Amino acid sequence: MLGKGVVGGGGGTKAPKPSFVSYVRPEEIHTNEKEVTEKEVTLRLLPGEQLLCEASTVLKCVQEDSCQRGIYGRLVCTDFKISFLGDDESTLDNDETQFKNKVVGENDITLHCVDQIYGVFDEKKKTLFGQLKKYPETLIIHCKDLRVFHFCLRYTKEEEVKRIVSGIIHHTQAPKLLKRLFLFSYAAAAQNDAAPDPKNHAVMFDTLQDWCWELERTKGNMKYKAVSVNEGYKVCERLPAYFVVPTPLPEEDVPRFQGHGIPIWCWSCHNGCALLKMSALPKEQDDGILQVQKNFLDGIYKTIHRPPYENVKTEDLSSNFLSLQEIQTAYSKFKQLFLIDNSTEFWDTDIKWFSLLESSSWLDIIRRCLKKAVEIIECLEAQNMNILLLEENASDLCCLVSSLVQVMMDPHCRTRFGFQSLVQKEWIMGGHCFLDRCNHLRQSDKEEVPVFLLFLECVWQLVQQHPPAFEFTETYLTVLSDSLYIPIFSTFFFNSPHQKDTNVHQRQLSLPLTQSKSSPKRGFFREETDHLIKNLLGKRISKLINSSEELQDNFREFYDSWHSKPRSYHGLLLPHIEGPEVRVWAQRYLRWIPEAQILGGGRVATMSKLLEMLEEVQSLQEKIEERHHSQEARQAEPTSLLRNSARLSSLFPFALLQRHSSKPVLPTSGWKALEDEEDLAKREDEFVDLGDV
Amino acid sequence: MWWGGRGQSFNIAPQKEEPEMGSVQGRAMPEPRSRQLGSCLASGCLTGEQILAWAPGVRKGLEPELSGTLICSNLRVTFQPYGWQRSQETPLSSEYDFSLANIGRLEAVNGLSRVQLLRPGSLLKFVPEEILIHGRDFRLLRVGFEAGGLEPQAFQVTMAIVQARAQSGQIQKYAGLTLSKAGQSPGSRKPPIPLLEISEDWETERKKQRARGWRVSTVNERFDIATSLPRYFWVPNRTLDSEVRRAFGHFHQGRGPRLTWHHPGGSDLLRCGGFYTASDPNKEDIRAVETMLQAGHSDVVLVDTMDELPSLADVQLAHLRLRALCLPDSSVAEDKWLSALEGTRWLDYVRSCLRKASDISVLVTSRVRSVVLQERGDRDFNGLLSSLVQLLSSPEARTLLGFQSLVQREWVAAGHPFLTRLGGTGASEEAPVFLLFLDCVWQLLQQFPAEFEFSEFFLLALHDSVRVPDTLTFLTDTPWERGKQSGQFNTYTQVYTAAYSQPPAGNSINPQLSVWDWDLRYSNEQILQFHNPGYNPEHCPDSWLPRQQPSFMVPGPPTSVWLFCRGTLTPLNQLCPWRDGPSLLTVSSRWLPRLAISSESLADQEWGLPSHWGACPLPSGLLLPGYLGPQIRLWRRCYLRGRPDIQVGLSAPTIAGLQNELSHLQELLRKWTPRIPPEDHSKKRDPNTILNPTEIAGSLMGWGESGLG
Repeated sequence: MLGKGVVGGGGGTKAPKPSFVSYVRPEEIHTNEKEVTEKEVTLRLLPGEQLLCEASTVLKCVQEDSCQRGIYGRLVCTDFKISFLGDDESTLDNDETQFKNKVVGENDITLHCVDQIYGVFDEKKKTLFGQLKKYPETLIIHCKDLRVFHFCLRYTKEEEVKRIVSGIIHHTQAPKLLKRLFLFSYAAAAQNDAAPDPKNHAVMFDTLQDWCWELERTKGNMKYKAVSVNEGYKVCERLPAYFVVPTPLPEEDVPRFQGHGIPIWCWSCHNGCALLKMSALPKEQDDGILQVQKNFLDGIYKTIHRPPYENVKTEDLSSNFLSLQEIQTAYSKFKQLFLIDNSTEFWDTDIKWFSLLESSSWLDIIRRCLKKAVEIIECLEAQNMNILLLEENASDLCCLVSSLVQVMMDPHCRTRFGFQSLVQKEWIMGGHCFLDRCNHLRQSDKEEVPVFLLFLECVWQLVQQHPPAFEFTETYLTVLSDSLYIPIFSTFFFNSPHQKDTNVHQRQLSLPLTQSKSSPKRGFFREETDHLIKNLLGKRISKLINSSEELQDNFREFYDSWHSKPRSYHGLLLPHIEGPEVRVWAQRYLRWIPEAQILGGGRVATMSKLLEMLEEVQSLQEKIEERHHSQEARQAEPTSLLRNSARLSSLFPFALLQRHSSKPVLPTSGWKALEDEEDLAKREDEFVDLGDV
Repeated sequence: MWWGGRGQSFNIAPQKEEPEMGSVQGRAMPEPRSRQLGSCLASGCLTGEQILAWAPGVRKGLEPELSGTLICSNLRVTFQPYGWQRSQETPLSSEYDFSLANIGRLEAVNGLSRVQLLRPGSLLKFVPEEILIHGRDFRLLRVGFEAGGLEPQAFQVTMAIVQARAQSGQIQKYAGLTLSKAGQSPGSRKPPIPLLEISEDWETERKKQRARGWRVSTVNERFDIATSLPRYFWVPNRTLDSEVRRAFGHFHQGRGPRLTWHHPGGSDLLRCGGFYTASDPNKEDIRAVETMLQAGHSDVVLVDTMDELPSLADVQLAHLRLRALCLPDSSVAEDKWLSALEGTRWLDYVRSCLRKASDISVLVTSRVRSVVLQERGDRDFNGLLSSLVQLLSSPEARTLLGFQSLVQREWVAAGHPFLTRLGGTGASEEAPVFLLFLDCVWQLLQQFPAEFEFSEFFLLALHDSVRVPDTLTFLTDTPWERGKQSGQFNTYTQVYTAAYSQPPAGNSINPQLSVWDWDLRYSNEQILQFHNPGYNPEHCPDSWLPRQQPSFMVPGPPTSVWLFCRGTLTPLNQLCPWRDGPSLLTVSSRWLPRLAISSESLADQEWGLPSHWGACPLPSGLLLPGYLGPQIRLWRRCYLRGRPDIQVGLSAPTIAGLQNELSHLQELLRKWTPRIPPEDHSKKRDPNTILNPTEIAGSLMGWGESGLG
């Protein structure tokens, strides 16, 4: 039953078992010991976290039209999060704390997770930004992880309203400097903790050795070499300190155009074919320079395209494929389907669900990414060709496509360790601009494009379609997608390894932070397609690119023949991309919608059964082992995660934490009174088993 | 079918050119191999079955490709792979048989030309390289013919199918089907589930439900109240048969209020037809009607069944559209798939049914009352809703046995006009309401994978059985016809007893087979798959504690009467429409938008809190399904079976695999510990015992514990 209790009393003293494993394990989170003893729900601050402003008697509404029902509490804003501290919170039982996120609580919103803030003025909803003249009665916060919070400020003192509203708006929306990121305050304060060795979780690819290992693992070391030409970021700040290039490529070519126009190795296939990427040369008007560029590229091209031994096919991701703007538009339409302010609105749109979903074309974009990856795999696998991915900076769709190809082709990338290493290799070292794409600094909304999320979506489709092929589950992906907005992990808060190294380094040396040189404006709103690349490579490409019809046929044949064969999860894995097969990531998008909860149902029901049987199998195996070795009977106690949970819901593990308690529980009282007579009734009724008739 | 009489319009090879169909052995076949084949083919024939034509071919589309023979007989089309022998145990095959009635479309392909046959006036002018038989049950049989001298056979078999299909306008039951189970003489054979054709079955079921205020009425024993009603049904204890007779006359087609399910909490779920508004009942009649509706409760809710549900024509149209969409060559682009799916409206109807059923289960559970489902005909959506409500509220109904009994009671015995609704009579009232129901059940199975004892495979089997004319279950419109055709009664002067309870002396009446005799069509291995490996025995019926039943009779008129419509309860002045003014129910309220207030689900209104507020408030055993857009899914393994690109999912096999591992380990352990009695685990599961729920629960549960000692 729902009862009163103090959150944090139980979890504060002993460290909870790790349940959600994030990409980089957070350092131990400490609570301030003295606060735990307080009677009311206390604000738990992370090391280095500072309280900025607060307001009391705020009513957190349940998502309904009226603000009648809700919980009173304090709304606080720190430099890390917005947090609501309810006066009355249900105790979370053991099962629930076990599955609780250690950093972000049920009522916590990290500042980076805030998507939009609305205010309600006289029943009208308006977006809030900048300086406010009038303060709203209700504050609605849409989060990037798709939670929606309603805070009613009607009963709050006016000056507190002003302080908290303008505080929240300022701290979530005003452009920020990199050095102001909470990351740094946290790192400074939590410095004493022995950070766990990240090597246990992923290959970091920050040493030459890591790259050599990867080359060895994929047997790419015959044709490719790791180079340290960019050590100390001498050549270019966009590229990692170490990377891999084709062996015949002269190292002195790399600095010519600051690393542009250099084919960089991503991965080698079992047949020796490799996936390469290249960032395009800067656009120039001058014919002379153009000629120089052309000669340079021709030279590069000769080193990698040497038929009949080495064939390369160029895949230009800047044209004929998705544009970043398309992705941005589609996702913003798509997420609106799940950001629900009240149930009425929800039911209104429900009837048109499929057409709304289709019109967002988010699923279609996922399909196109999957399809592109399959096309590339077909070239690598069936046609024995090297693939050269080409993009302006080779840091958006290149990362997406190349990592998707690797997830499908390389079973190592489907383990957790391998997947994390892959993200580290292709996204972090590949220089994906997380800072800009997540808009962490609130500097440009135009740059905010969920490319990494799109990648996770594609992987989710694969996980969904072939669950046994993956070591991780969809919950892992969901939590990973959330950790993009938790600024205590440094992983997703920089635009390039260079930026990370310089900032973290300076921080540690306590040098005054210089103005960050980050994010030179990389507009992706290209006026025209990149004809330059086409011009330069055009002649050669035309020889290599098959007519699109033939390409389609090849693709179709490859795709169909794979799907018609019995599959092995330890080799190539292709997704289904037909209309009915690309689905909505229900766990991520529906988890906060109470109406979507199916009590006692959902995938977790099967999952718990699965775990149970797994345990049984394990304990039996142990038992058999024992019998082999000794007669001593040692009772193996299987540890169960889910066994005690009486009735899980489809929103597990997220919904457990979303329990409201303001409404009375009244329904079954009528029966309770009658329960005593129940036994009597049982005895009276003779139960005739139909099977015996 | 309706154009069946115009079979001549086909350009069919004249009959005389096909020498002596049926005696395959006598035909001069081009190869010696075929002669052996011929005798082989004939061996699997049913009584009265004649082989019309056959041709060697290769089954395509499904993996693995099989070579075999395509046979057309006067009853069915079969693809018989080489080396496959029809077992005597299972005279029909769920995998290779296509009953003629099931053929929805036939296409012949040669090179680039593609002709649709089965359409009046369509001609086959070429020898087909391949034919595609699209089943109305969404299955697809694709057979490629071998080249090399056998082309005439390919042509013949194709035309024979067309002709046989045209001539089978009237669905014929496969005659002479018997289960050749050893040791089961026809007389003593017990049906796998009670068929509810004798009053004992009803009595047993009543006791099982602990409906103590009710009794089995024999008033319709001779079908003189209504042929569409079962011979027995449940009426309140205190109501006399004469009153029943009197009251039922004032309902549409004589279908008065009957108990369908007694909730262990005390509520009663009733169903009845529409009030016969033209009749002019006297006071006593009205009182009888009211007593029966009230069923001794002070709180009565009349549910307008058709409110917010699709009409029969809607269902039929949606199903046709769905079938067109799911054809393998459907021209819908990948990125337009979702809106095309929405355009069929099928999922929308599924959603409406689930939503309504969910509301009604809340009504039944939240208060002790009488809930009356009222539909004009009482033969379609009443059955659908009452079955769904029971599935949602009663763990018993979610077992294999329970579900089959439920379908038998609420659909078969209650007189759902299967023949008409499935298009068997050629009448215009075709509407696959039962298939809509199966889809709803599948949605529940998806949403609550641990709560159902049966598997998706079982639902598919039931779905496919609907069009196999093997048993009378789905081949008649009323219980009366079913009884008549199965020869249960020869005259109307006797009081009938079903064949299996009291075999008439010296009379060799063939025991009636029902659809539940799965071993007619499914092998033992297949029947084993009817089981949901993920069924969680914690939710088995035993753990469900029924609540107390209140004292039955409430004196006096009901204190509150409600009409449940558009998601809300509206107070009614009276139960019956006759006293003053026209019936409230005559006003059609369908498709009116819900009021804003009702956007809150009924669970909120009834309990004062949303159903999602934690697990505690929900009574155990009650499932509240999700019916949001994203939660209603397409039953891909059923509807997309014809598309080779769609493969089956994987989570169930994982569990099944684990289960195998478990039993293997158990076996090992047992070998080493002789003190455990061997029969505990070594007993291989026999598909006939599989329908026993306690055993299943035991076997699922017991493996671990007893093994550990």
